[in-house]
Formats: sequence, structure tokens, C-alpha cells
Amino acid sequence: MSESTQLGSQLVDLCSVLLLLSCFAIVAQRRLSACVDLFALQSFFLATTAALVAFLTGHRHIYVAAVLTVVIKVIVLPRILRKVIERLNVSRELVMNINIPAGLLICGGLVVVAFFITQPIIPLGYLLTRDSLALALAIILIGLFTMIARKKAVTQMVGFLVMENGVFLGTTAAAYGMPLIVELGVFFDVLVAGLIAGIYTHRLQDAFDSVDTSELTVLKE
Amino acid sequence: MTTLLTVLLACYLLGGVLPLCTSRPSLQNSLAHSSAAAGGAAGIALGLGGLFAAQPLTLSIPSNIPYLTCALRLDPLAAFFVLTISLVGLAASIYAYGYVREFTGRVSVGLLGSLLNGFLLSMTLVVLADNGFFFLIVWEVMSLLSYVLVVTEHERPGVREAGLFYLIMTHAGTAFIILTFLLFAQETGSFSFEAFRHPDQRLPEGLRSIAFFTALIGFGAKAGIVPLHVWLPYAHPAAPSHISALMSGVMIKTAIYGLIRVYFDFFEGQFPWWWGFTVLSVGALSALLGVMYALMEHDLKSLLAFSSVENVGIILLGIGAGMIFHTYGLDELAALGLLAGLYHTINHAAFKALLFLGAGSLLFATHTRNIEQYGGLLRRMPWTGLCFLIGAVSIAALPPTSGFVSEWLIFQSLFLSVQLPTLFLKLMLPIVAAILALTGALGLACFAKAFGLSFLAQPRSPQARHAVEVPVAMRIGMGLLATSCALLGLAPMLVVPLLDRVTAPLTGVTISDKVLALDGWVVAPVTVEFSSISMPVLAALLVGAGGLGLAIARLLRKGMPARYSRTWGCGLPLTPRMEYTATGFVQPIKQVFETIYQPTVKLEREFLEQSKYFIRHQRFHSTIEPLIEQYLYQPVVTALLGAAERLRVIQAGSLHLYLTYIFLTLVLLLLWAG
Repeated sequence: MSESTQLGSQLVDLCSVLLLLSCFAIVAQRRLSACVDLFALQSFFLATTAALVAFLTGHRHIYVAAVLTVVIKVIVLPRILRKVIERLNVSRELVMNINIPAGLLICGGLVVVAFFITQPIIPLGYLLTRDSLALALAIILIGLFTMIARKKAVTQMVGFLVMENGVFLGTTAAAYGMPLIVELGVFFDVLVAGLIAGIYTHRLQDAFDSVDTSELTVLKE
Repeated sequence: MTTLLTVLLACYLLGGVLPLCTSRPSLQNSLAHSSAAAGGAAGIALGLGGLFAAQPLTLSIPSNIPYLTCALRLDPLAAFFVLTISLVGLAASIYAYGYVREFTGRVSVGLLGSLLNGFLLSMTLVVLADNGFFFLIVWEVMSLLSYVLVVTEHERPGVREAGLFYLIMTHAGTAFIILTFLLFAQETGSFSFEAFRHPDQRLPEGLRSIAFFTALIGFGAKAGIVPLHVWLPYAHPAAPSHISALMSGVMIKTAIYGLIRVYFDFFEGQFPWWWGFTVLSVGALSALLGVMYALMEHDLKSLLAFSSVENVGIILLGIGAGMIFHTYGLDELAALGLLAGLYHTINHAAFKALLFLGAGSLLFATHTRNIEQYGGLLRRMPWTGLCFLIGAVSIAALPPTSGFVSEWLIFQSLFLSVQLPTLFLKLMLPIVAAILALTGALGLACFAKAFGLSFLAQPRSPQARHAVEVPVAMRIGMGLLATSCALLGLAPMLVVPLLDRVTAPLTGVTISDKVLALDGWVVAPVTVEFSSISMPVLAALLVGAGGLGLAIARLLRKGMPARYSRTWGCGLPLTPRMEYTATGFVQPIKQVFETIYQPTVKLEREFLEQSKYFIRHQRFHSTIEPLIEQYLYQPVVTALLGAAERLRVIQAGSLHLYLTYIFLTLVLLLLWAG
């Protein structure tokens, strides 16, 4: 491995680690608007990683994906979420299913699990991004964990988007991204999911005077 | 032949599509039912052609899906069933042209007609299929279409439940058929029937027995053998009558086709004696219980549905006897049993469809299915009455009708068990024959009730009093089947050679020369000396005896004046309240078979306050216990619901809980895989 590619590989790893770090920040954050900001930041790191990979490998289509990430996940979606938060008039998440210290500990455990699982696979890879696979899996798991730990619909939405970021990082790490058409489809899906979740949160507020998804249990007969 | 097949497919497909292209109900009606009738006519020609063809017609269209080839094969067995399906299909389509007016405004006539075409097409393809995968697909299409047709009038109470019950039972059956085919496919590595029947790739002994049972259960659920028959009395009455006629007349026969195909074709008739004995026992049980419950039923269509259970049992008696004889190498007797079973198959298709169409006409005219509310309809609906009478006499197996010929042949094959080498079977087969005799007697009582209480005496309800004869199209449809019934009974010399062409490849011997003695005028299994019967002569004798009686009466009456007067009613005017009711008619039988029916009778009386010698009003309840449903199905349903109730605990309705399930599953699976 030449020195420049080694350097590139390390840069990719660095960016991935920043992504993971922002995950922890989201888990530790009570304020909803800060969560959304952190998500935007994470998406920015993701776009940087993607651009870096595109630069290092010369796969042009990853640039497109990076640009789309910036447009949709850094600009559009956070804006929608902020609007929702403004309208809802809730700024903090006071009650959680799992409190923050315990949540952080579990997230730490999840990272270990992710590394443990990917350990046998990573040496088989030959791409310069292969180490990011473990980080990507950790981000997916933490995203899912966020959805479980939090009660407010907005943070659950953020958790879902974090998972999506993890999946994106994973595909970039494992195979330099999916074919562009799939990528475009996924972006469109995420955007629509964001819109639907926004509307659904409004409805939830109207119906229950709260965006606490635990209230949904009353729907059971 | 290929042309006929193309015409048939084209007719049904056009009939499936065209009615949906217009919005005028009358045009939809003519388009759908004329193409269905044309398809039926083509099918009759195709069936006859297939029976006489020297070589089976095969057609194969490969597909991109693995294992699936749209292979068709028209061998004599398939041709016989195509003929049966098409005959009933033709009559039902003509009948439906008049009958669907009943539904105009409530149900889309175009959709109903289009589904009818699809249903007929799928049934035809089931018997033509020559690939296991393709068979399963068309089988499933047939089941689903019939389900949709059953719930046509889903807004009426009970119809949706009936449909759901049918759907569950038929899917459970399909699961067993899939299992059967998978067993074959696993051994042969292919889903083509050609590979299934290949002698080099025979299943190992244990698997053969499993395949025997899975096929019996799978096809039995569709055929309605006891104890898998419970859906019939719910689903058949719920469907529109021409659909009931098709379901009861021919759809359940596709299961008989499946059984013969698997046992005689795939297994090549290589099976131990107890297979045949199992089929025989199941047949005897179905025949007896079917007719017993039919007798107690006052809903005309439910009665007919239970009677289908009985007749499927009788068909299985013939096939079971054939299987036993085949095991012991008595090929001629095997062919006789099988031939008798197939004869009863086409007979039952004709008369049961006829009776269902007749029941539909009564429903059309009176808007009720309850026999207690009929009465006196023969005078008001003479054509329907005549057709229903022909059907009822045939199904009650009175000579010289078609039911009599086939049941007589089954009796003969059971009596011939004296030629079997084992004592056990020598003893058992006559016992089965005795059960069949009891079944026949009860069947006669059942249809004496169905016809007599519906058509004779005075009307017992205003609807029956104001009933009028049904439209011409419906009469033609019934007339067609009534003619077929008469022909099947009076001309065995035409039918037996056709059936012999079906059984000959399966058993390896041809018996039509032996069965038909004296140029076909006499039907004689084995030898004329043992037993023989001639249907035309019998019919001539019966008609002759009746004519003779009339002539004698006329001769003796000479010189005496004829006197016409009202029926004597002990000095009182005759009213419908004096009539025999359906409940009263079957009361003695209910008493005799108390153990099976377990009847409960409840009498509530309310007396006048002044004196308890005067009753203000009284109510009479009489119910019988559906034993099989209660002791076999109810525990299963209760257990299922109980398990579901316990599983509800994990369905707390909390979003977070569901997410946690997903999360834990994901992590555990990842750890397990890693």
C-alpha cells in the first residue's frame, strides 16, 4: 500500500470516527433542536467522507451522492425537523425510557459488539475504506437504540435518520457506494419518510396533545 | 384437438375480460354467459375427442420461473373430467343468464360473469395440468376464485364467515397437496408429472405411505370427506346457486381426479392393501354421515351440500374397492370398481348440479331456502318441479336412473370381494356394502322429503303461494342436465365404453366387452349368470307396468261415471297447517339414530292467567349436535384462540417495545452469525 493511499485510508477512518462521535453526542443530548443540529453535523461529516472516498478512488458518482447528502440531510431535513419542533412547542425531552448515562454505556457496548461482529470480515476486504464497516454497523445499532430509548417522535425520527447515515457509510465502506440509481432512490425515500414523519408528528400532537409515542398504546383494543 | 383447446381457452379468457369492458348489465350478462357456454360446448367436444384419441395431446410452454412449465396433457382421465366440467359448465352458464337478474343492482353482473369464466377455466386447467408447480398454481386460482364467488353476497349475514371457513379449510388442504408434490419432486428432482410417474424414480416405502396420507388429506379437504367436510354445508349455500352447482357438481370432483391421478398414475397402482381399505373406510364413513346430516337439514342448499359429502363417499367406495382389487392383481375387478366410481362421478356431477340449479330456481321464485316454507310448488312451477324430480329420483338411486346404475355397479364390485384371498377383506367388504345399502335407504328418505315437502300439497308461506315459473334460460339449463341424467341412466352402453377408455390405461385391462353383454343391452359385471341388469328393459317394464295399470283401470271403469271432488279433510277445510312438515317427516329417523344426532328438544309454553288449560302461545325448539364440529374442530379453535390470547402479552401495542424486539433480534442474529 503506497503512502498516499495509507494516508487517504486514515483520513476516511478519521471522518467515520467523527460520525460515530456525533452519534454519542445525539444520545447524550436532551434538547431537541440540538439533536437536529447534531444530525446535520453528522450528515456533513458523512458528505465529507463520501467526497474523500470519491477523490481517492476516482468514482465520480460518489460525488453526486455527497452533494445530495449535503442538500437533503444537511439542509432540507433539518429544516423540516426544526419547523416541527417550533410548532410543537417542546424543546426538551424530560422523560426517557433509558436515562442518558445508562444509554451512553449501552452505546459503548454496542460499538464493541459491532467491532466484534465485523472483526472476521474486515481482513477479507481490500478496499481502503474497509475499516469503516465496523463504525457503520455501530452507527446503525446506535440509531436503532436511540429510537428505543427516546419517547418523542422527533428524536425517533432523528434516530431513524442516523440509521440511514450508518447504512450509507456502510455501503460506501464495503463497496464504494451503491449504483447511483439506487442511491437516488434511497435519498428520495429518506426525504419522503422525513415529510411523512413530520405530518405524522403533527397528527400525533393534534390527537394526543403530545408527541410521546408511548401514547400510541391506547390504540390497542 | 389443439384448435378445440385454443377455442376453449379463448372463450373463457374473452368471457373473463369482455364483461368488464362495458357498463351495461344486460350486455355484460350476455357477453359473460354466452362465452362461458361456448367454452363449455368446446370443452365437451374436447373431452370426447380426448377420450377417443389414440395418443394423449400434450402442450408445453416453458417459463422463466424455475421448475414451472405450463404443461398440459389431455389423456383419457383428464378428458373425462374435462367432459364432466364442461357439461355442467355449459348448463350452469345458460342457467346463469336468467338467474343473475336476481343480482342486478346489488352485485356487479359483469364481475360475477367474469369470475364464472375464470372459475371454469381454472377447473379445466387443473385437470389438464401436467406439471406439479403449474397444477398447484391453477388449483390455488380455482380455490381463490371460488372463495370470491362464495362471498358474492357478502352483505348477507353469515356469508363472510362461511367464506372464511372455506378459505381456511381449502388452504389447509392445499398445504397437504404441496407436501405431496414436494415429496415426489424431492425424489425426482423435477415437478413434471412425467417424472412423477416414471417407474425408475420410485419413492422409498416410508415416503410412499406419507404421500398417500398427505394426498388423501389434501384432496379430501376439497372433496369433502368426513371429517374434513365441515366447510361444505356453509360455503355451498352461501354461493349463488349456479356457482353452488359448479362447486358441488364439479369442483369437488377435481379432488377425485387428483386422488386417482396420484394413486393410479404416479404410484402406478403399486400399493399395499390397507391403502385401498383406508379409502374405502373413509368413503363409507362419509357416505353414511353425509346422508344422515343431509336428512336433518331443512335448508335446501345445505341439504344438498351434505348430500355431496355422501356422494363423494360413494365415489370413494368404488375407487377404494378398485384399489384393493388392484393390490391383489384382480385387474378386471379393479377396473370395475374404478369404472363404477367414475360413473358415479359424472352422474353426481349431473344430478347434483341439476338439484342445485333447481334449488336456485326455488330461491329465485320464493326468496327462501327453508323447506318448511315451500309446498305446493309443483303446480306453480311445473318445469322446475319436473327437473327437480328427475334429479331427486336419480340421486335417490331409484331404477332406472343414472344413480341406480352406478350404485349398482359399486354394489357388485363390493360383492365380488369373495374373490379376494384374505378373510379380513372378505368380511369387511360386505359390511361396507351394507353401509352403502343403509346410505341408499336414508338417501331415498332424504330426497322424498326434499321433493315431496317442497313441491306437493299446499303452500306453507305467502312467498310459496305467489311463486311463478322461472325464466326460459334457467329452464333450459336445468333441462339440459335433466336430459343428461336420463341419458346416463338409460344408455349405459354408451357410457361404459367411454369410461373403459379411462380405466384401461390405469388398470391395464379393458372390460367394456365383458360388462356389456348382448350388444350392450345388458350390464353384467363378470358374467351374465352372476348378476346382470338391463336399463332400457327395466325402464320399459316400469313404464309398461304403469301403462298396464292405467289401461286396466280404464277397462274396469267402463260404464261408471267419473266423479271429481275435493280431497276429504274429515269434514274440515284443508289448510297448510294439516301438512306433514320437514321436521315431522324426519322425526322417526332422529329417534332411531339418537346416539349420533344427540337431539335436544325444548318446549316453552305460556298459559293464560285464568286457566292453565288454555295456552296463549308455545315455542318448540329442536336442534341436533354437530358432533364432528363440536368434538374435533371446537377444541382446535379453542386451543388456537387460547394460544393467541397468551401471545397477546408480547403485543403490548408500544412502539418502543416493537423496536426493542427488532433491535434484540438484529443484535442476537449478528452475534450468532459472527
